[in-house]
Amino acid sequence: MVTDTVKPVPVPGTERTTSVPGTTPSRLSRLGRALLPGPAAGANGAALYRRWWLPWLWAAPAILCAAVFGVFPFLNTVLLSFTNAKPLGGAASFVGLSNYRRMLGDSDFWLATRNSVLYAVIVVPLMVLLPLMLAVLVEKKLPGIGFFRSAFYTPVLASSVVVGLSWQWLLADDGLINTWLQKAHLIKQAIPFLSDSWLILLCAMGLTLWKGLGWYMVFYLAALGNVPNELHEAAAMDGAGAIRRFWHITVPGVRQAMMLVGTLTGIGSLRVFTEIFMLGSYTGGPGGADRTLPFYIRDVGLDPMTGNAGYGSAVSVALFLLTLGLTLLAQRLTKEDES
Amino acid sequence: MRARRLSGSLTCLAVLSLTAAGCGLSGGGSDGDGSATAGGCKVAKGNVGSGKLTGEVKGKITFQTTNLKKDFGGFFNGVIKAFEKAHPGAQVKWIDDPGDNTFTQRTVADAQACTLPDVINVNAPTATALTKAGYLLDLSVKDPAVAKPFVPSFWKSATFEDASGKAIHATLPWYTGGVLLTYNKDLLNKAGIDPAKPPTTLFGLFADYEKIAKAGKGKFYATMANPIWRIPADWDQMNIKTLSADGKTATFANDPRTTQWVAWMAKLYKEGAMPKDSLSSSNDPSTLYSQGKVAYGSTNPSFVRFVKQNSPSIYAKTAVGQQPYDALGRASAGAPQYISVAATSKHAPVALAFAEFLTNAENQTAWCKDPNVVIFPTTSASLEDPFFQNVTGDDPFSQARKLVADQLKRADTNQTNLSPAVQNAIVSQVQLAMQGKKTPEQAVKDAQAKADELLKQG
Repeated sequence: MVTDTVKPVPVPGTERTTSVPGTTPSRLSRLGRALLPGPAAGANGAALYRRWWLPWLWAAPAILCAAVFGVFPFLNTVLLSFTNAKPLGGAASFVGLSNYRRMLGDSDFWLATRNSVLYAVIVVPLMVLLPLMLAVLVEKKLPGIGFFRSAFYTPVLASSVVVGLSWQWLLADDGLINTWLQKAHLIKQAIPFLSDSWLILLCAMGLTLWKGLGWYMVFYLAALGNVPNELHEAAAMDGAGAIRRFWHITVPGVRQAMMLVGTLTGIGSLRVFTEIFMLGSYTGGPGGADRTLPFYIRDVGLDPMTGNAGYGSAVSVALFLLTLGLTLLAQRLTKEDES
Repeated sequence: MRARRLSGSLTCLAVLSLTAAGCGLSGGGSDGDGSATAGGCKVAKGNVGSGKLTGEVKGKITFQTTNLKKDFGGFFNGVIKAFEKAHPGAQVKWIDDPGDNTFTQRTVADAQACTLPDVINVNAPTATALTKAGYLLDLSVKDPAVAKPFVPSFWKSATFEDASGKAIHATLPWYTGGVLLTYNKDLLNKAGIDPAKPPTTLFGLFADYEKIAKAGKGKFYATMANPIWRIPADWDQMNIKTLSADGKTATFANDPRTTQWVAWMAKLYKEGAMPKDSLSSSNDPSTLYSQGKVAYGSTNPSFVRFVKQNSPSIYAKTAVGQQPYDALGRASAGAPQYISVAATSKHAPVALAFAEFLTNAENQTAWCKDPNVVIFPTTSASLEDPFFQNVTGDDPFSQARKLVADQLKRADTNQTNLSPAVQNAIVSQVQLAMQGKKTPEQAVKDAQAKADELLKQG
């Protein structure tokens, strides 16, 4: 009588592979098996996948990139903010909190902060809603709708130089907009779009919106695909109009995308530089009245001849905290809204 | 346990990174182990310190110009070919930078990354920054005979301060443009101004601008409003000391003529001598002049070439005149373009040899003779060439050459070297005065305070 012996089932991750003497697999082949997409023949694949270091190995390139290009520069900036370092290097000494004290007492810093915050406060809500409305419009499957989708996306592809020149041409005293308004007898004198500091700021916001609409429209088009059409049909049968359906079905359905767009736009708005430079030139508008925080950092921290990288770093840290604060506030508001 | 070990390792890494950053802050100067550094980069010992540079002219170097490839590709390729022929084993790779307003920042970033091109065309602000940080070769030390070909005044002014405040020759003067008035004769005639009699003072020129404002009535203008085009050039011409001798404090507010100058600018802006929307515009007069909407063009002689190429009808109405010499009594021609050699060069003997070859009298003369350019050489032998001595022709192009050749014999090449941030700070205040938001007195006072604040931190 042959007695069947029951082989013990190894606990995953604790088994040891036996090997015939002289054929012990090398470390290299074990590593190879671990890295291959599937379990190697004769080995317990699950066990190999449970090597503690394997997830770290996959994540290593991304972690390395984040550390080198994100974490390290950030920590370096924080460190520099307590020194009087110069943009070109050289000897620097620890100055404690004096850069922060100077920053808080500098009226130019507060002006730049006001402009940056104002930019975010106006641009973010518009950038969250307008591309969504645009996406709802072009989502419909109508003949020729592809043309409109492409047309709305075109500004995203245009180079900054071309956009800057085009907007200057549109907004100049003898530009297209003023000429039309004057020919239509709506205004007698040209509107000083490019010489009034408030108008420059508003036009720069318009430029940001114009360039970003198409980009975020694509985000929303993807998100709208996840909103079940049945909900719209049911609501329509219950007598809900288009506007009601938009606020009660579409908006809740794309809330996560709105959160993402809001966060990205908020960060971008606080860091705005190019649009102000395009319309307000080197000084950031007449008298530097449209300077935002990045403009201010350029002037006080990055100038190779008279810059103070330590002070510039302190302002950069303030900009970071401002961005972080607004992002957390937006998240909190969204959560409260959801609950 | 493993996770804890990993966290520990990452913490160590972060601490090490921070320590490394801290070390980076104190960089510069020589290392204790005897190896040489330039800025924050390890370099060959011969590149820094005293002693002539020696070594074989062999190896590959990079040569960077600023926005010259499009128009002068043929000339520079010829120079490179001739150099490589004269020095077998030497190779020159030519790159061309667009030379936009981020040039200094980008070049400084290259220097910090130890990737500065071996031979580089720089302007005065960039040369100032690079010399201060020790990224450029001290040319008069590395080749004591290097000064010989240059006009003494150009060579004398081609110095910049190193980290210790000592003026060194980190640049070779290359080409210079000079400065002149370019104007539309028709528009001047309409305003009752005689184009053949350009004013001799800047306030005289401003008075002409006022006449143009009255005649133009918004149809055409005298010039552009942004004071960034005139500061500090106008003040230099008026012999107003913008900065103290050591460059560490602003002094322009101490001269009452500065307030008068700002008052004039505010008046001209208010009266419509300048397009209102050009107050903070980055556009120079090129476009509007070419459209016949602005009476005075750029003061750069090469502007005449631009008009000739892009607007022949306006070129036909264009004339040139001497820039008002004002209180200075001679042209404030500004600093020339410079050629520098990076102290970080791995083939410094090749780089130095090429820099000297490029700026020698023969090559400078050849380039200046290009029919499409109005530039002038900085070498004595070149200026003796009949091409510059006997200018003929009545066209604006030839006249521009003649005027600049005359003025360069005794021109002032010591343009005030303002950092972009200081210049922006001053310009901002003048803009506020032009808008009527500040009195000229207050604007000048505030401009000086803002400039001082930046100079103090620098």
